[in-house]
Amino acid sequence: MVVIDKDVERAARPVPPARRRRRRTPVTWVRGGGLSSLVFLLPLIVLFALFSWWPVLKSLVLSFQQTNFIGPAEWVGWNNFERVLADPLLGTAAWNTTWFTILAVVIGYPVPVIAAVFIAELRKARGFAAGLAYIPTIIPPVVSVLLWKTFYRPDESGVFNTILGWVGLGPYPWLQSPGAAMPSMVVQACWAGFGAATIIYLASLMSIQSELYEAAEVDGASIWRRIWHVTLPQMRGIMLIMLLLQLIGTFQVFTEPFIMTNGGPENRTVTILMLIYRYAFLASDYGKATALSLMLALALCLLSGIYLWATRKWSTT
Amino acid sequence: MAKPLFRRTAVAALTTALVAALAACGTSSSDDDPASGGGGDTPDSDAPVTISINDLPPTEEPERRQSMLDKIERFEEANPHITIEATEYRWAADTFPAMLAGGTEPTVTALPFTEVQGLAARGQAAEISEQLEGAGFLEDLNPGLMEVVTAPDGGIYGVPYAAYTAGLIYNRALFEQAGLDPDDPPKTWDDIRAAARTIQEKTGVPGLISMTTENVGGWTLTAMSAAFGGLMEEVDGETATASFDSEPTKQALEFLRALRWEDDTMGANFLINWEDSRNEFGAGRAGMMIAGADAYTDLVETRGLPPEAFGVAPLPQDDDAVGALSGGSVDLISARATPEQIDAALTWIQFNRFAKYYDEQTALDNVDGAAKDGRPVGTIELPIVSQELYDQYLGWIEELINVPRENAEYYLTTIQEIPLVSEPPVKGQELYAALDPVVQAVLTREDADIDALLAEAEDNVNALIQAG
Repeated sequence: MVVIDKDVERAARPVPPARRRRRRTPVTWVRGGGLSSLVFLLPLIVLFALFSWWPVLKSLVLSFQQTNFIGPAEWVGWNNFERVLADPLLGTAAWNTTWFTILAVVIGYPVPVIAAVFIAELRKARGFAAGLAYIPTIIPPVVSVLLWKTFYRPDESGVFNTILGWVGLGPYPWLQSPGAAMPSMVVQACWAGFGAATIIYLASLMSIQSELYEAAEVDGASIWRRIWHVTLPQMRGIMLIMLLLQLIGTFQVFTEPFIMTNGGPENRTVTILMLIYRYAFLASDYGKATALSLMLALALCLLSGIYLWATRKWSTT
Repeated sequence: MAKPLFRRTAVAALTTALVAALAACGTSSSDDDPASGGGGDTPDSDAPVTISINDLPPTEEPERRQSMLDKIERFEEANPHITIEATEYRWAADTFPAMLAGGTEPTVTALPFTEVQGLAARGQAAEISEQLEGAGFLEDLNPGLMEVVTAPDGGIYGVPYAAYTAGLIYNRALFEQAGLDPDDPPKTWDDIRAAARTIQEKTGVPGLISMTTENVGGWTLTAMSAAFGGLMEEVDGETATASFDSEPTKQALEFLRALRWEDDTMGANFLINWEDSRNEFGAGRAGMMIAGADAYTDLVETRGLPPEAFGVAPLPQDDDAVGALSGGSVDLISARATPEQIDAALTWIQFNRFAKYYDEQTALDNVDGAAKDGRPVGTIELPIVSQELYDQYLGWIEELINVPRENAEYYLTTIQEIPLVSEPPVKGQELYAALDPVVQAVLTREDADIDALLAEAEDNVNALIQAG
C-alpha cells in the first residue's frame, strides 16, 4: 500500500496562473446577479419572517410580559418563569416527558434500524416491504391515535383485550392504569413513527458500496459480522442524527397524551407540551405558557449541544 | 445581459408583492379599533354605531339562519342607528384568545357560565353594571343567576340568557329495560347507587358513568360536593381560598368509590372527557351520568339518543346541601366596546334574548326557524326570568314545542325550590384541573387515599391563587 503525503501531493500539482482578484463592490454584486437572487429570496424571507421568526420573537417578548390582549402588556420580569418553576406539576411533567423519551428510545429506536436491515437483505419485493413499513406514517397522527385509543379500550370490546381474551388473558386496563398508560402510549408512538425512519435508514443502507460486502464475504464474514462490521459503521452518521431528531421530537410529545389520556390517570401522562397547552388554553395565561415554551426550547438546545459534543468523535462527518 | 436581469428581477418583485398582498389580507386595519374600552364619558344614544355578534346559525340550518337574519333586520328597522354584523363564530376556549389577540372578537359573544369569572378577572370583558341598570330588564332576571356574572369586586360582566343546573341525566329506555320506573327517578344518593346496580345487572350496561378529564372531572365533583353541602372556595371580599378538603367532597368521592370498587357499576373507562361521556350516553352505553340538565339538544341532535329516552332529575340534595351548581350561557360584551357599543349591545341582547318573554309574536318568530329545521323547541332549562313570565312564554309557543317536557316533570317541578350555587369564582378552571386527578385516582386505584389527595390538591390550588 502506497501512502501519499497530502502536502507532497499538493506540491506536485501544477500551479494555476495567478488571477487578478476583482474587488467586490455593490455594482459588481448587482452585476453578478446578487440583487435578483435577493429579490427571488424575498418571498421566502417575508414568509419565514412573518410566520416563523416573528412569532418566535413575539413569544420571547411575551414570556416576560403579562397581557390580556386588550390593554398594553405589562412587563413582569422573571415573574412568569418563577410561577412556572413554582408549579407543582412541572416536576411531574418533566419526569413524564423524560420517561416517554427514554421508553421511546429503548422501544422505538432500534426497531426501524432492524427493519431496514432486514428489508435491505430481501432479494424480492423490497419495495413492497418498504411500502408496508411506511403505511403507518401515511395515516394522519390524530386518526392513528384515535384508532389506538379504541384498540386500547379497557373492556372486552378493545382490540387488544379481545385478542388476549382468546388465550384467556385480560381484560387489561392499558391507558387507565397509572403504570401502563405511558408504555402503552409509547408503543403507539413508535408504531406511528417507525415507517419514516425505516425508509431513511433503508436509503442510507442502499448507498453503502456493495464492494464492502463482497470483500467481507470473500473474507468469510457471516451475515451478522457483515452487519456489525460493515452495515452499522456505515450507517453511524445517519443513526446519530436520527437519534438526535428523535430525542427532540419525543421531548415535544403532545398529540398522544392529549387525545389518549388527557394527562391522566393521576397526571401520569402530563407532558411539558400539555402543560404549555393548559397554561395557554385552559388558564389563558400566555405569559406562563410562553415562559415554559422558552425553557423547553433552551433545554433542547442544551441537550442538542451536549449530544453533538459527545458524539463528535463517533460521527463519520 | 441587462434585459434578462431586469426580467428576473421584475418577476421576483411581482412575486414578493403578491406574497405581501396575501399576507396583508390576513391582518385587519387597526385604525378603527377603539383601543381602550369605555373611552368616552356620556354615550351619544343616537349616533350611528356598529356591533358584531356571534352564533349566526350556519348555512346548513337555512331556516334558523334566515330567521336570525330576519330578526336582525327587524331590530335594525326599530333601531336605525344600530348596525349588526353577524358572524358564525362559535365560542371555543382555544380560539377566543386568538380573536382577542387579533382584536377581532365580536362585540357580543355568547359563551358558557364557566368562563365569565376568568374573563372578568383578566379584564377581557366590559363591566356593564351602570348601563344594565338603565337597560330596563335587570329586575326581571333571576337574581340567583346574576351571581354568575358578578365578580368578587361587585362589578357585573355579562347578561345570562339561558340556564340549567347540574343534574342526573338518565336513560329512560334502559330504566324500563331494567324494570325501573322512568317516571320515578332516583331521589337520594342511595337510590342512584341501587339504580346503577340494577341497570348493570339487568342490562349489562354501566349504571353510572362519570367525567374525569379536561377539567370536567373537577366540575362534576364540584356539583356533587354542593349536593352534599360543600363549596369549593371560600370567598372573603376579593380574596378566595380553596376549601374542598372537606367532609362533603369526601362524601362525594366515597360515593364514587363505592360504585366503582364495591358495586363495579361504572364501566371500565375512567378517562372520560365531556365528549366521551356524551357519546357513550347517546349510544345507550350508560344508564346515568351527572351532567348539565340542558344535555337534551346535544344528546338527541348530535349523538342519536331517541328523544323519549332522555330523562333528567335534580341531583339529590343531602340534609346539609348548599344547592344545585348552575350552568348556562352568557352574552359577554367585549372590553374594547365603546360606551355607545355597550348601549347598542344591551339593546340588542334585550331584543334578541328577552323580548320573547313579553310579546307573543316575537316568541313565535323566535322558535319558528328552529321548529322548521326540526331542531328542539322547548328544551329543559331553568327560567332566567320570573316563573310567571316564563310560563306565559311557554303557553305562547306550546304548539311548536317538540321536546317531551313531561319526561322531565320531576326536575321541572322541584328545581325551583333548590338554591343555585355558582362555580368557584377565582381560578375556577385551575381548581377543576387540580381535582381531575383526584377523581381519576379514586376510580383507578382501590387504595387511593382520599384525604391525602384532597389535601395535596387544595394546597396546590391555594398556591396558584396566591401566585396570582
